[in-house]
Amino acid sequence: MTLSLSDPTWYPIASSDDLPFRHVYQGQLLGRELAVWRADDGNVNVWENRCLHRGVRLSIGVNEGGELKCQYHGWRYANRSAGCTYIPAHPADAPARRIQNRTYPVREAYGLIWSAANDDQPFRPFPGAEGHDWFPLRPMPVNAAPEDVLAALSALAPDDQPADLMPGLSLRFGGTYYFVQPVDAGRAVIRGLLATQPDATTLRHYNELLSKLRDRLERAAAKKPAPEPLKPAFEKVSAELSTMPEIAVPRGNTITVVVKRKWTSADGVIGFELAARDGHLPTFQPGAHIDLHLPNGMTRQYSITNGPGDLMSYVIGVKQESASKGGSKVLVETVREGDLLAISEPRNNFPLRRDATRTVLIAGGIGITPLLSMARFLDKSSLNYELHYFTRAGDVAFRSELEALHGKVIFHTGLPRAEIGLTIASALGQWSMAQHVYVCGPSAMLETVRSTAAAQGWPDEAIHFEYFKNDKVIDDSSAFEVELARSAMTLHVPSGKTILEVMRDNGLTVPSSCEQGACGTCLTTVIEGEVDHQDVYLNDSEKRSNSCMMTCVSRAKSPRLVLDI
Amino acid sequence: MAITLYDFELSGNCYKLRLLMNILGLPFDIVPVDFFPGRQHKADWFLRMNPFGQLPVLKDDGLTLSDSGAILAYLAKTYDTTGQWFPDAPAITAEVLRWHVVADDITASSSAARLALGYGYDFDIPKVQKQAHRIFRLMDEHLWFGEREGRDWLCSPAHPTTADIACFPYVMLSEEGGIGREDYPALRRWTDRVRRIPGFTVMSGIFPAGRALQTA
Ligand SMILES: N[C@@H](CCC(=O)N[C@@H](CS)C(=O)NCC(=O)O)C(=O)O
Repeated sequence: MTLSLSDPTWYPIASSDDLPFRHVYQGQLLGRELAVWRADDGNVNVWENRCLHRGVRLSIGVNEGGELKCQYHGWRYANRSAGCTYIPAHPADAPARRIQNRTYPVREAYGLIWSAANDDQPFRPFPGAEGHDWFPLRPMPVNAAPEDVLAALSALAPDDQPADLMPGLSLRFGGTYYFVQPVDAGRAVIRGLLATQPDATTLRHYNELLSKLRDRLERAAAKKPAPEPLKPAFEKVSAELSTMPEIAVPRGNTITVVVKRKWTSADGVIGFELAARDGHLPTFQPGAHIDLHLPNGMTRQYSITNGPGDLMSYVIGVKQESASKGGSKVLVETVREGDLLAISEPRNNFPLRRDATRTVLIAGGIGITPLLSMARFLDKSSLNYELHYFTRAGDVAFRSELEALHGKVIFHTGLPRAEIGLTIASALGQWSMAQHVYVCGPSAMLETVRSTAAAQGWPDEAIHFEYFKNDKVIDDSSAFEVELARSAMTLHVPSGKTILEVMRDNGLTVPSSCEQGACGTCLTTVIEGEVDHQDVYLNDSEKRSNSCMMTCVSRAKSPRLVLDI
Repeated sequence: MAITLYDFELSGNCYKLRLLMNILGLPFDIVPVDFFPGRQHKADWFLRMNPFGQLPVLKDDGLTLSDSGAILAYLAKTYDTTGQWFPDAPAITAEVLRWHVVADDITASSSAARLALGYGYDFDIPKVQKQAHRIFRLMDEHLWFGEREGRDWLCSPAHPTTADIACFPYVMLSEEGGIGREDYPALRRWTDRVRRIPGFTVMSGIFPAGRALQTA
């Protein structure tokens, strides 16, 4: 038998007990090294044991509970998706979601962790697996060929009760199951399972038995030429996948989610839990939002409140507006548990630095949602933060979630207007190096935080907020042509009309939401021409790249623009 | 009372002493000795302190001491008011000393492989690597059964001792000698526990483990 790198068989690679709280286990299968770790939510991750950045082993990294942090340059990867969530060399930027480490399939069953080289085969329990409380023996690594190990195990069976060979390098006799984990052509691990809980003497007995078997196998193997080790090709990660992209990427496809739970979190705030239909949702960073496509055709942005590596569903908070503009009203009144909704992939305009010595989070009302996510990330990494949450009496949304945090969380409920300013001033304090404040709330509060912080010595780079509105005066005086490359159309955009309006007048359906250059929904790739950017969504380097634009407010400096529409 | 450590930053044996003194909160001065490439541990002035020509050497007032295991015992017996790092009970003392000897075997194997690969020393590399694997196998077995019996450390008390400090550095640095630890999961878990001891400090090549439990 020769081992194959593409063998689709599921093999045990660890015992459940090998993965205690916040540990990273160094796994091996078919010539590959694996970083195996259990997140605080119990999920087990099996990843290629190399950081995408410099190839450093992730098994020497730090298990932070929801993310794995590489020891070398501190890149962090999310539980479940292995998507990169933070790059310390770019502390103020959001990494692209698509920077993603290689993952392998995983199952935890019968006291063991199982994995396979690929997804080609579904996991199947071994014959007789069900109905027992399995106990894994101490694993026994052996420097010998896996098939030789299997043969030696089979020879342990008494003559009158020969071993029963099972699929995937395993066998059983006398109530004991043995699995041979093929580490490499000349290396294996014997993993035994007992159907009942053994006493100490039994455990020692098996350990002695298997140690002797190992010694015999290794003596025999030493006399033979060593087999050629398997040579897994490390798929080189392209520069595009392993480095920070300079520019915004137009949104990919929408994702269908199911409304798993809808509840009243506070007077006027409705919580929605949006779950993946199968597998997990994409990686997000703290501060990220999704576009939600509503049944009435509208699109609205909502911040993700989740903590690190929490990817089975996104939880958002929706404010019930009294003078509703339609968006939240539809959600609150017509969407029910079990309904399907379409969302975009997460995008982050509000990235959180994780190199601050002190982080101040200031939330007003429904503005708590991105800050709850940030607090959860800081909390898991044991970083220092203070969260100030201003609400009207009775309006404390996500209270139990906030009370579960370990950092300083201060509720300011029903403060008179005059006191809010003073409270913010003392919450901020004087600025010193490496302190950052993040604020989300009504625009009056944003202004108070910005002006108070500035007066107390906080530099602009230390004050972080997300634009929900574009206050710039839009100059729509230009007139130009747009060529829509994929629609084979050329349209004239006169002064006084936006590109978006002209496209719609001509029968195109193009997504949009805020229509003031703040939300990013109408982001479009530019193929040719010079853009006159007027939005607040793209950052300066994205604008300079001239490779994308917001068609709702931005225009052309050149006589002609070619768009990828 | 002033402690001076004659130290080489990249030496695991010197690091053992820095580690324990850090855990005990003991202040100490460092005199750097250029072990590599300067070979100052074979210079006359050094040989007058330790005729064996080995690092580390520690001075405490009038005393001059050598051998990291002996110095760990001295520091614990003199400065550890809890008495936990080098317990007095004869049976436990024997256990600790037994592991101090294992620590020397780890130096002679894992550290030798590292010196051969990283510093051009002349050792039989396959032989010392094999010796290290043999010790790591035994440690992994000892620690795996320990976990089943509720023992987290090398010796039987419910807390770490100088045995853990003495064995730790060249286990952690073994990869620099081409000795992987992927076959020793219980040994790897024990290195997490050592790295979570309050007062733990690092050296080049040895990283912290991150928190075990969220502090409330
Ligand atoms: N048993 C001694 C061994 C010390 C030892 O091997 N020191 C190394 C430096 S890490 C050394 O000085 N080697 C030079 C030599 O042995 O000639 C101890 O634990 O202190």
